Parts: sequence; C-alpha cells; structure tokens
Amino acid sequence: MELNWAEGLPVRVGEMFIGLYQPSPETAGYWEGVKRHELLIKHCPHCNKLHHPRRILCSGCGETGLGWKLAGGKGKVYSFSEVHRTTGEFSPSTPYVVGVVELEEGVHMFTRFLPRQGDADNAGIRIGAAVSVEFQVLEQDMLLPVFRLA
Amino acid sequence: MKQLAGSCAIVGMGRSICRRGEPEKKTPLQLMIEAAGLAMKDAGINRTQISAVFTGRMPRTYMSLQYNQAVLNELKIMPTFSSEVTSHGAGALGTIELAVLALNAGMIDYALCVCGEASPLWIEMVGGSAAWECDLQFEAPYGATTPALYAQCANRYMHEYGITPEQMAKVCVENRRWALDHPQAAMYKRGPITIDEVLSSKMIASPLHMLECATWFPGGIGSAAIVTRADMVKRSPSKPIYVAGFGQHSTHEWIGERMGFWGTEPCVEGPDMVRTGASVAARQAYQMSGLSPKDVNIAETSAPFSFLNVLILEELGFCDVGEGGRFVESGGVDYDGGLPFNTTGGYLSFGQSGQGLYLLKEVMDQIKGCPEGRPVPDVKVGLVHGHGGPNACHSVMLVTGEPL
Repeated sequence: MELNWAEGLPVRVGEMFIGLYQPSPETAGYWEGVKRHELLIKHCPHCNKLHHPRRILCSGCGETGLGWKLAGGKGKVYSFSEVHRTTGEFSPSTPYVVGVVELEEGVHMFTRFLPRQGDADNAGIRIGAAVSVEFQVLEQDMLLPVFRLA
Repeated sequence: MKQLAGSCAIVGMGRSICRRGEPEKKTPLQLMIEAAGLAMKDAGINRTQISAVFTGRMPRTYMSLQYNQAVLNELKIMPTFSSEVTSHGAGALGTIELAVLALNAGMIDYALCVCGEASPLWIEMVGGSAAWECDLQFEAPYGATTPALYAQCANRYMHEYGITPEQMAKVCVENRRWALDHPQAAMYKRGPITIDEVLSSKMIASPLHMLECATWFPGGIGSAAIVTRADMVKRSPSKPIYVAGFGQHSTHEWIGERMGFWGTEPCVEGPDMVRTGASVAARQAYQMSGLSPKDVNIAETSAPFSFLNVLILEELGFCDVGEGGRFVESGGVDYDGGLPFNTTGGYLSFGQSGQGLYLLKEVMDQIKGCPEGRPVPDVKVGLVHGHGGPNACHSVMLVTGEPL
C-alpha cells in the first residue's frame, strides 16, 4: 500500500471526500530514509537532543527546525506484547510480537520484534533483550523498520 | 482551589439505555437527549433555565463536527457557554469540572453535562476499535491492536514491580461478583469466574487474556447531569450530591511516543511507561476536598484492563506505589469486605460504552441509597475515575452526600 503520510490519509464517505487524517510533512524524511533502508530519528541542532521521528518541537529546548540523524539501528526491547487476536490482514500472522524498542540513541519507537535468527517462535523475547534493525515488508505491503532479537 | 470544594452539586441525573436486540435501535443523540430530559426532570428545571451545555467527545456512531451544537439544537437550549470536553473517555467527568468552574465564576446558574455512545448497536467494535487508539503512521502498520498497546504498559508494570498474573486476574474475579448483582451489567447472567478461568481464557495480547480485557456494553448509554451552585440546591426536589474535589491529567496521545515525556509529573525523573496522570489528578482532588483515600467508601474506575485496575488503585492512593498486586491479593477490593470497587462490575464485567457519566450515576445512586445492584451501606464519600486513551487521560472526582 503506497501511503503518502506527508499528504495525510484522505477520509472518504462513499464518493465524498470529507477530510485529511494526520497529514504529516514533518515525517516525510523518515519514510524517504526507510526506502533507503536507513533508520532516521529527529535531531535538535540547538541542543543536540534526539527524538522520535514524529517530533515537531524539541521537548528539550523548545526549538523547532529539527533535522534528521541516522540511527545505529541497535537497541533493546523496552516492552512488548505477543498479539494472538487481531483482524484483517494481520490475522494470518498471529502470534506476532509488537513492542517498544529503546534505541542506543535513547529514542523509543513502536515496532515489530522478530525472533532470533533460527528460533521457531517468540519464546526468547524478554524486556532488555538486544535487538537490531532490519527492513521488511509487513502485512499491509509497507516497507517498515523491524527489530530482530540478536 | 479549596474554595471549589463542595461549592456545587449535581441536582439531576438521567440515563437512557438501549440494549442490542431491542426493537428500536437508538443513536447516541437519541440516548443523550432522553438522558438530558430525565436529568432536567430530576432537577425540577426546564430548558430555559440552563445556560451552559457541556458534552463529552463526539460519539463514533453519530459523527458530526460540533457535536455539542447538535445536542443543544435538539434540546432547544441556547447557552451562553458551551463546549465539548474531549480528553478521550476522561472528558465525561471533565464536563462536570468545567460546569463547576463556570458556576463559581458566576457565569451561569445551571449547567447540563451530557455524554453518550452507542457504538455496539451500529458498528463491529472489535475490528473497528483497533485503529483509533494507535498512531496510524507509526503503530498501526505493525499490527498494533488496542489490547497490545495497553499490554506494553502491563508488561513494564509486571517487570518493574513484580506484579503477578494471579494478582491481576483477582480484580477480574471481584468485578464479576459485583456484576452478578447489577441487572444492567453485560455479564449479569454469566456467573462467577475464577482466577484459573481468567488465566486460561484465550490469550489476546500477552500478558492480557480475554477475561482481563473490557467487554463492550451490549448497547448504548446516554447519561446527563444538571449541576448548580450549592446555594441553589433547595430549589430542586432531588437529593443533591456535592462535588467535593476533582483533578485531571493527560500525558500523551500515542503509546509509542509516550517515552519522549519527562520533567513533569508523573515522570519527573525520566521517561516511564507505567505511572499515569491518575495520581496527579487524584492528589488535586484530595487536596481540593480536604479528603483522603481513607475517607472514600466506594470507588469506580473506567480502567479497561485487569492490570490497569490494579495500577489505578495505587494511583488513587488506596495502597502504596508498587503494592497494588499485594493489596488486591490480600483482599483490598474483595466483594466481601474489601473497598467497594467497580460496584457495577466495572469495564471488565459491566461493559464499556465508549464514555459516559454512568459510573458517576452509580456512585450517586449508592450515596442516595437506591443503587440498581448490590447496595453499599452508608456511603458518604464516593470516588469516580475516568480513563481515556491508551493510559493517557485521567479524571478523578470526589462526591459527597452532605455539604463539606
């Protein structure tokens, strides 16, 4: 599915266009990076603090004008949940693990966790486990950064 | 802030319910209008006396911009102050809080607060609910269901404080016992459950099993309250219920970005995924009222998952931080002899209807001695906690049967 978040998600009622859901030009650079298999996070040029790619305003110093920085792609599992019940295109993938990764740079992001290479299931996952980034096309045909247990 | 304590009272309360399967399927607007009519009757006032209308957020099954305008249009009330109060489900109590502020400012004499939802009558809730609580851009594409978002906090809560699955399941068991006494509860006729049954029910999103997740109320609920100043209560025939204290707190919108938040309570030291704004809201409510958790005779929360009920007991001050599991395990909220907690059955067994003031109604009914379910004897002080978003928005209100 080709979604352009910079322009937002058009909301329609039948043929009628009724608005835009979350147009997000401030994240366009992130998705460009994903296409190149690069994980980018926001960087404040004023105070050097690093942020979630969504951020518009630096919560450290209050400045706008955040730029991008390439993340190393390593981190650990901050929290997780193995999803057993869901709907739509995700159903055939259950059980799969979603969670929050804590990047080495200190930024936290929601993601998909994959089992350790060679593991048959997600039994090895625990809070604090080391993970590293990969890029995969998930159920909605979107290329996304995901994190595999090291 | 203390001058607000007991300054206003709820002199009218109305609720309208339409259950799935009834011949006439009602919209949230119908239910809210019916509830508003009942509340005005209860307060002994008519539409021309109301000068403020506050609604909760727009219902999902009657979407229109300016929902509050649709409500006042139908009621033919022409307010001098009106607004939607929308901190997710916590906004329902926020309507009462805004009314108290406007009344204290001398801007109005009567406020109508009205909320409602009827989603389960109109749409498929389980599939349809997944997208709304998550960030469509950074969370939904990963297959983030609503339970899986909350489960992030549950796993951290267990990890950081050693809370056990059995302790979490105990709340579900006790909630169910209350629901068996409450004829409106979704699980009224479903019989009791055990800890083993909770933990062997289907896994939804680890560590949360099916019986640890809120059930949808099988229908729609509209609820409405009339609020006025304490010096006006004698003009109404019903027993006034005084607003003793309140507080609100919101921390985030999306759970995945919650960790970018620190420097203010409840995360002064650094990012954290467990502590919620409920503690901040509760402290304000206690400070405003001069009451303490020990004074509370009954507590209701709209916490939609097992672990969140345990955590909220800590946040509301009924036990120490990190002690929620042990508090519940040792009978702290037992149906027999514990703090009367979620006396409707709670979101786990009464059911969730999007949002509403129906938990406030339960506390008011208990104070007045006319509850629909099991009566709690001698209720003087009641607490209502409204929760909304993925552990994001919290509103706490203390009410009393007598002036402070």
